[in-house]
Amino acid sequence: MLSPDRTVSAAMTPFVAAESIAKAYGGVQALTDVSLMIAPGEVHGLVGANGAGKSTLIKILAGLVQPDAGRILVDGAPTSLPTPHHATDLGMSFIHQELAFIPGMTVLQNILLGVPKKTRFGMVDWQAAAREVAPIAERVGIKAPLSASVKGLSTAENWLINICRALVRNARLIVMDEPTASLSAAEAEKLFAIVEDLSASGVAVLYVSHRLDEIMRLCSRVSVFRDGRSVGCLEGAAITRPALIEAIVGSAVAPLAATQRHPVAGRKITLTVDALTRAPKVNGVSFELRQGEVLGIGGLVGAGRTELARLIYGADRADSGVMTLDGASFSPSNPTEAVKAGLGLVPEERRSEGLLLTKSVAFNLQIANLANIVRSPVLPLIDRRKREALSLEIVRDLAVKTPSIDTPVGRLSGGNQQKVVIGRWLLRAPKVLILDEPTRGVDIGARGEIHRLVRELAARGMAVIVISSEPDELPDLCDRVLIMVEGRIVRALEGADITRNAIVEASYFVGEPPSRENTI
Amino acid sequence: MSMVMSGGRRLSPSSKAALGFFARYATIIGLLLMIAVFAFLSPRAFPTLNNFTNVLNQASLAMIIAGGLTLAVIVGELDLSIGFAASLHGVLVTGLIVANKLPIPLAIVIVIALGALIGLVNGIIVTKAKVNSVIATLGVGTILTGLAFAYSAGVPIVAGVPEAFLQLSLGRWLFGIPNNIIIMAVVLGGLWILVERTALGQEIQAVGGNPAAARLAGINVDRIKILGFVVSGMCAALTGILLASRLGSGTTSAADSYLLTAFAAVFLGSATLRDGEFHVLGTFVGVLIIAFGFNGLNIFGAPTFSQYIFQGAILIVAVGLASLGRMISES
Repeated sequence: MLSPDRTVSAAMTPFVAAESIAKAYGGVQALTDVSLMIAPGEVHGLVGANGAGKSTLIKILAGLVQPDAGRILVDGAPTSLPTPHHATDLGMSFIHQELAFIPGMTVLQNILLGVPKKTRFGMVDWQAAAREVAPIAERVGIKAPLSASVKGLSTAENWLINICRALVRNARLIVMDEPTASLSAAEAEKLFAIVEDLSASGVAVLYVSHRLDEIMRLCSRVSVFRDGRSVGCLEGAAITRPALIEAIVGSAVAPLAATQRHPVAGRKITLTVDALTRAPKVNGVSFELRQGEVLGIGGLVGAGRTELARLIYGADRADSGVMTLDGASFSPSNPTEAVKAGLGLVPEERRSEGLLLTKSVAFNLQIANLANIVRSPVLPLIDRRKREALSLEIVRDLAVKTPSIDTPVGRLSGGNQQKVVIGRWLLRAPKVLILDEPTRGVDIGARGEIHRLVRELAARGMAVIVISSEPDELPDLCDRVLIMVEGRIVRALEGADITRNAIVEASYFVGEPPSRENTI
Repeated sequence: MSMVMSGGRRLSPSSKAALGFFARYATIIGLLLMIAVFAFLSPRAFPTLNNFTNVLNQASLAMIIAGGLTLAVIVGELDLSIGFAASLHGVLVTGLIVANKLPIPLAIVIVIALGALIGLVNGIIVTKAKVNSVIATLGVGTILTGLAFAYSAGVPIVAGVPEAFLQLSLGRWLFGIPNNIIIMAVVLGGLWILVERTALGQEIQAVGGNPAAARLAGINVDRIKILGFVVSGMCAALTGILLASRLGSGTTSAADSYLLTAFAAVFLGSATLRDGEFHVLGTFVGVLIIAFGFNGLNIFGAPTFSQYIFQGAILIVAVGLASLGRMISES
């Protein structure tokens, strides 16, 4: 069913071919021997779990990142893409999830951003420009007048403007990254029609999406990445949901034996969340968290998991819904209140939200623990000996590899930085600890240590929530797993049901009509 | 660890260490070099205990206002109202004493409380109304200038300033050391302890270092930022009071120029010892550099305009050194 990428469509010269691309960031190998071929005018799907290497390859094609090895051919000729300019000049356009716009400008000005314009007496001839752009705008279905401001336009219209921008630049390949992530069903339908129209007129589309039904509907070929490698290319009738899932997931991994999990049913309830909502990312989420339980929250990036964590932690305010903590009503209006009530958060963005990179390890460890290291509440001078002793204790307990506790935390490796953020909360011993992607960008060794630590905290009675996009991570770690899709909890897995496959299936399947499976 | 500079140039570890050393100690070396040169060129007038005491005395007011500003910049904000505020405070304290016949200590307490209030207003505008601190404090400062003119009708309050008030700044009540120096030492020492040794100081540093991370660690970021403005406002008030005492008058705009001095000193300070981080001891060194620079220019009879050129140039050099330090520590 899976055929190696290279043999596919050997007959025609692909518009773009990436061959044996490798790329490492620091010590992390993002891509290893990745290949991708896009024929002129084809709609080519690109799928893979989070962290499979899709974004890195796109960045390489866009000229934003340089590959360590491998080569890129355009129209069969080896080429290099040292800057985004080169990629644009060769006819490649990139439309990202976060659309880049200049809000104060008109539709026309945004379409022509960075495009050389005709001038008259040194001034831009906007009328001539408008005459040129108008037919293309009509073709992609832009309803707003070209002279209107882009402010207030919908995401769907912004997409159209971006596609128009690509066509004005004579793009021969448009890369679309999760194009329907924030579109309504009707808007998505329009986009599909445009994609088909582009393809018919000879413009290739690289369609990157987690939504498999869209991939099955639009794409003639689909490349699948896993763990930074291309695992194959599906073609035509071979593009089925089971085949895609199998390729994305790879071989199944044995779940944690059920005996290793804690029976949590009889334990005291620590946190209840009831119908918590903050539109549009979190919609009526309810669950209970018990003492000593490790609760996993799985799902795809953008499913609303981080937003849910922020609501619980008081970093954002909920539109509606109620929570209780140890039986008492709990509605923190900021993280300060949440921390006081007994919560801790290890945020997703370790470097920008978790740490003060230029400050020392000790500073970062003690910053939430200051009340416990002052000489007396009346004279809040830091007891430096106590600060040092407590910091050394954590560094030893968590095996943080650092030259000293005075080393700036930014100099530590990712895994050790993460241990510092976790260690900060150990000092406070919160009732509920939320870890958002705790092992992202962490090496295998530190990952195992962090997992052990989480289990240990739960064994001591802490209630732990672990958010992870890696389906592999949750079965190892959790007593129970909730799967979120588009802001809702769609499935709860327990005991032996917590498997990698069950997590992936729930992340992809729910909300899509089951009949789809047999349509192609 | 890759050592990539902004231009994509790679630095070897040894040249990085050398550059880092330069960025960290350049200000102190510069200060010592300047003192040495002045001492060599003017061995009789410059390197005397009398002259050094004089320089420190002169620099005390700038040190106090710059010390306050240091707190505002540590929490990640700029306070441009301090010079204008200090001018208003000078007018006000003389007015309260001369026109309203208030006892001197009471007048001082009122004015310092007003300084705290101005800081509170600045802080609330910045944190709650989300106005950029440059704009907010420039606006508040301009309003304060207007109030100073309204209060005094633009006429300096000179007549009837009691000798006791003058003695606040001119006296030498302890061991023959000028009062200004003592007050400055107490204020800067207090600020240093606050920032470096207290729990609150750790939060202040955290908010300046990374407000997002500080917030998620449970720190009330807005409250800490407001505190930075309040301290800055109180120090501006104290400087305004001492300046009025030294001049023997309440003069509108008298303290305006402290704004630039304070900023130059604070940025020089951030390039001192630490890689681009603001800190109280650094600010102290920063003011010393400016003060000795002025003193030297004076001794050699350089025209007044040269002081402006000196100060403007030093501000740019300071910011350059600070960002060099940051770049090295981040690479």
